Amino acid sequence: MSTPILWILIPLFFAGLGLFFTRYPLVLKWSAVGIGSLLSLSASLLPINEPFRLLFWEIVLSDQLLVFGRRFVISGVDRPIVVLIFGVYLFWSLIQNPKNVPAYFSPLSLAGITLIITAYAVDPIFYGALFFAFLALLHVVMLSPPGGDPTPGVMRLLIYQILGMLFILFAAWLASWVGFNRGDQLMLSRSLVILALGFSFLLAIFPFISWIPMVAEKNHPFISGFIFNVYFLGVFLFGSRFLMEGGWFAQGINLQAPLQFAGVMMLVFGGVLAVFTHHLGRISAALVISEIGRSLLGFSLFRLGFPIYFAMFMIQTIALGNWSTSLTNLRSGLPEVDVRTAAGAGRQWPLISSGLIFSYFTLAGLPLLAGFPLYLALGNGLKAYPAWINGVLILGSLGLIIGGLRSFSVLMEDSGEESPLDLGDRFDKVVILALNLVLLLLGLFPQVVYQVAQLITDLMMGT
Amino acid sequence: MTQLVEAFVAGFLFICGSAILIVPGRRWMTGLLALQYVGVFLLVSVSWPLEIAVVKLVAGWMAAAVLFLSYQRGPEVVSRERLTASVPGVVFMIFAALLIGLSMYSLLPTALRWFLGASPQQVLGGVWLLGLGTLQLGFSRQDIRIILGLLTVISGFEILYATLEASVLMTGLLALLNIGLAFVGAYLQMASSLEEPL
Repeated sequence: MSTPILWILIPLFFAGLGLFFTRYPLVLKWSAVGIGSLLSLSASLLPINEPFRLLFWEIVLSDQLLVFGRRFVISGVDRPIVVLIFGVYLFWSLIQNPKNVPAYFSPLSLAGITLIITAYAVDPIFYGALFFAFLALLHVVMLSPPGGDPTPGVMRLLIYQILGMLFILFAAWLASWVGFNRGDQLMLSRSLVILALGFSFLLAIFPFISWIPMVAEKNHPFISGFIFNVYFLGVFLFGSRFLMEGGWFAQGINLQAPLQFAGVMMLVFGGVLAVFTHHLGRISAALVISEIGRSLLGFSLFRLGFPIYFAMFMIQTIALGNWSTSLTNLRSGLPEVDVRTAAGAGRQWPLISSGLIFSYFTLAGLPLLAGFPLYLALGNGLKAYPAWINGVLILGSLGLIIGGLRSFSVLMEDSGEESPLDLGDRFDKVVILALNLVLLLLGLFPQVVYQVAQLITDLMMGT
Repeated sequence: MTQLVEAFVAGFLFICGSAILIVPGRRWMTGLLALQYVGVFLLVSVSWPLEIAVVKLVAGWMAAAVLFLSYQRGPEVVSRERLTASVPGVVFMIFAALLIGLSMYSLLPTALRWFLGASPQQVLGGVWLLGLGTLQLGFSRQDIRIILGLLTVISGFEILYATLEASVLMTGLLALLNIGLAFVGAYLQMASSLEEPL
C-alpha cells in the first residue's frame, strides 16, 4: 500500500462508483461526507513509511508509486495539504443540499479533488499541468448539466486551461533544456515569459480573466462556487511546488515583482467589477478575482505569506460556501439574480439574504468580519514593498465594499410585494445561520484560523 | 526523399487543418480530423519509434470515432448541422488560414532555433496546426468547433513536443487527454437533449 494509492486511486475509484448512484442523491451526499471524513482522518493520522497495525494486518504505507518510470509522491510534508484538500471536500459535501445541487456533484467533485492531489504529487512536477487539463474537462461536465447547452464561459474556461497546460509543459521543458547552471539568460527569460503565460491562463490573470464573471453569471452558483474555491487552491499549490522544485528560486530570479504586479492588477479588476456590475453572480466573480489578487500578493511574500494565504483560503472556503448556498436558494425564488430583479429580497427572505451579505462583506474585508484581520496582516507583510501595493490593496477592498453596499441596498428596498414563497428548506437555513455565525466569530477571534494556517505552513516546510 | 515525404505530410496537415475551418458539416470536420491524425502520426514517427508513435494515431482515431458517434442523433440537432454560414464567410476563413500559413512559415527560422532536434517539416507541421487550431478557437462559438480547435492545437503541440521528450507516461496522458476531450465534446453535443437531473 502507498499514499498515492490511498489518496488518489481509491478516491478515484469511489468517484467512478458514485456515478452509478446518481438516482440516490441523499445516499451520495452522505457517502461523500463519510469518504471525506475518512480520507481527511487517514491523511492526518496514518504514519507514512512506518509500520502500523490495522486489525490483523501490519501495514507499511509507502510514500510513492511508480508509474511508467515516473513517481507520484505524497510524503509526510505533504500531509497537511492532503488534509486541507480533503477537508475542503468534506466541507462542501456537508453544506450541499441534494435537493438543489445536481446529484453528480459529489462524485465529480471527489474526482476533481483527487486530480488536484495527483497534480501536486507527480514527479517531475510539470506533468501536473496535464492533470489540470483533465480537471478542466471535469469542470466542463460539472458546469454543463444535462438539459441545457454549455455556456460560453465554460467553453472559454476549457480553452484557457488547455492552452495554459501547453505553455507550462513547454516552459518546463525549455527551462530544463537550458539548464539553470549554464546561465543562458536569454533562454531563461524566454522560458520565464512562457511560464508566466501558462500560469496566467491557469490563474485567470488579465487578460484571461473573462471566464470567471461569465461562469459566475450563467452557471449553477453552488457548483461554480466550489470550482472557484478548489480549483484556484489547486493551481496555487501546484504553482508553489512548481517554483520550488523547478529550481526557479535558486537562480535569484525576482519573482516577487511580477507576482505583486499581477496581484495588484487583479485587485483593481475585482474592485472595478464590483462597483459596476448589476448581477449577483458577477458580484461573486468580483470577489473571486480579488481573492486571486490577494493570494498572489500573499504568495509574493513567500515564507511569511504562506500562513496568510492558507488563512485567507480557509475564510474564503467558508464565505464562498455560504454565498453559494444562499445564492442557490435565492435563485430558486427569482427568475434572474440581477440586483434589480432581487429588489426587496432582503425583506422577503432575510435569512437567505443575510448569508449573501455576511459572506460578501467578509471577503470584501469589512472590519469585524473574518476577512479583515487577514487582509490587515497581508498589508503589514507588504509594508516592506512600495506603498502603492498597499494602496491598491485598500482601494480594491473599498471598491468591493462600495459595490456591495450599492447592490445590497437594493436588496433591502421595500419592493411593495409580499411573496408567499418560503425559500430554502430547514437544512439550508441552518447552514446559512451557522456559517454566518462562524464568519462573525472568526472575525472576533482571528488567531484561531491563523494558528491553523501557521501549523499547515510549518508542517509543509518541515519545520 | 524522406524530407520530401515529410514536406508533403506537413502540407497535408495544413490542408486538413484549413479544411476543418471551412467545411460546414460536423461529419466532414470529424473525418478531416481523423485524416489529420494520420499526418500527426507520420511526423511524430520521425522522432519516435513506430510502436509509440502509433499511440497518437490510435488515440486520435478513437477521439474522432467518439465525436462521430455522438452525431447519430435526433432531429433537433440537424438544424445545427451546418456550422459555417455563408460564401463570404468561407472566403474569409480561407484567407485567414492562408495568412496563418504564411506567417507561421515566416516564423520557421526562429522556431527551428527553439526545437533543435526537429526537422523543418516537423516544426512547420506543428506550428501550422497550432496556428490553425488557435484560429478555430478564436473564430468559433459552437462547442464542436471549439473541441476540434483544441484537438488541432494539441496535435500541433504533440508534433513539436515529440521532438523534445519521449516519455511513455506523457504519451499516455496526452492520448487520454485527446480521448477525454472527445468524450466531453460528445457529452456537450448531447447534454441539451439528456434528462434533467433536478
